[in-house]
Amino acid sequence: MGRIYQFLDERLNLTPLLRDITDHPVPDHANVLKTRSAFIYCFGGIAFFIILLQALSGVFLMLYYSPTPEDAHASVTYIQNETAFGALLQGLHRVGASAAVIMVLLHMLRVFFTGSYKNPRELNWVVGVFLLLIVLAFGFTGYLLPWDQKAYWATTVGLNMVANVPLIGDFLASALRGGNEMGTLTLLRFFVIHVMFLPALLAIFLAAHFFMLRRQGISRPL
Amino acid sequence: MSSSDNMSSLPSPPEPDKSPCPFYPNHLFVEGVCALAVFAAIVIVALVWQVPLEEIADPGDATYVPRPDWYFLFYFQLLKYFQGPLIVVGTFVLPVLVMAVLILLPFFDKGKATGIRKRPLAAAAGLAGVVSIVALTAVSVLEDESHTTKMVLPPVTEAQIAAGEKIFASFCQICHSIDGKGGFMAMAPDLTEIASRVSRARIEQIIIDPQVVSPTTIMSVIPLSEEERHNVSAYLSRKK
Repeated sequence: MGRIYQFLDERLNLTPLLRDITDHPVPDHANVLKTRSAFIYCFGGIAFFIILLQALSGVFLMLYYSPTPEDAHASVTYIQNETAFGALLQGLHRVGASAAVIMVLLHMLRVFFTGSYKNPRELNWVVGVFLLLIVLAFGFTGYLLPWDQKAYWATTVGLNMVANVPLIGDFLASALRGGNEMGTLTLLRFFVIHVMFLPALLAIFLAAHFFMLRRQGISRPL
Repeated sequence: MSSSDNMSSLPSPPEPDKSPCPFYPNHLFVEGVCALAVFAAIVIVALVWQVPLEEIADPGDATYVPRPDWYFLFYFQLLKYFQGPLIVVGTFVLPVLVMAVLILLPFFDKGKATGIRKRPLAAAAGLAGVVSIVALTAVSVLEDESHTTKMVLPPVTEAQIAAGEKIFASFCQICHSIDGKGGFMAMAPDLTEIASRVSRARIEQIIIDPQVVSPTTIMSVIPLSEEERHNVSAYLSRKK
């Protein structure tokens, strides 16, 4: 290990980089080993961990999933019944989605009630609000993908709500739907939004979130 | 400590800690244990709470009652209070307002105090938000339950079925096809096998308030007496 690290460090100068990532003290009020109530500072980290789990389980689900109205339902059935650990993987992704929402909300409540959004962390709060919206958008788009009755009709109602937005509603709804009727394009769009657009957005906003956290440190205790 | 030199130029350095616990490896280890516990919890819930896939989407079956995932239920419930011309308040005005307040929060709440006891207004507002979301979610769940379980229906008799068939023919069959007859409204679902999809209580409920199926349905409220409604639902409950 040491020699490999030395080899890489000589060529890539890793030490300052690693020091930035790993070498910073965690204040006592956010350390569970020293302050029992510090567990409320864990929610954000747990939310991030669950998001990683979602990315991982999602990638494996994509190996079998087919985003067309003809095949989507059958491919999900196949994942559940025929593939190794498929049912568990699919269950994990579904439960993980709920867990991510719960943890993001808890994290947000912690930040709100400890007043952590105040100067100098205003911008990180704003980024956090967008992260909440992104996580909810993941939930909304992912709900359609199994293409079962629940998926289809809940999305129909959701898109009807979008269409009710003044001025741009109709345009927005038909852009999401890919026309006037739910079908092949709708499913493909929701799939691409779910696995390409949203992950990219999520990565950018998460990077900003963590960058600001490291620059500003964890907020002081009450 | 190396972190102090690369943080000295920052606008607001964290408070110096008397006995700092390094992030790596100490804190990362604690976080790793937490993460494993969370992972185990999610796996257990996924194994215990198996939600079977429903039937494949049927765009013709407008009798399906859609429900969003649980974390959107509060919003779904909220929209029920904004019908007709007010719907735009629910779909646009309120969400934009709430998002604007959330985003701008740190810019108008500029007080130095962070402790919850020193910020009664913020605490009250936050609490009100949490309570209303929890309450709306609870109301949504309870309304769904009471709709499906509390309806008391008379037992089905042959006389009811015969009477129900006549009422169906004169009131419903223009739009809804059944056994290959009627159904001149393309959007109205075929009801030949209605009972295999929905319960009798559900049929009654749809007759009383077609909007339970979808807020945007074009089915109108059919003026039936209670007895006539029971007859129709008895007739349809045999259509499997």
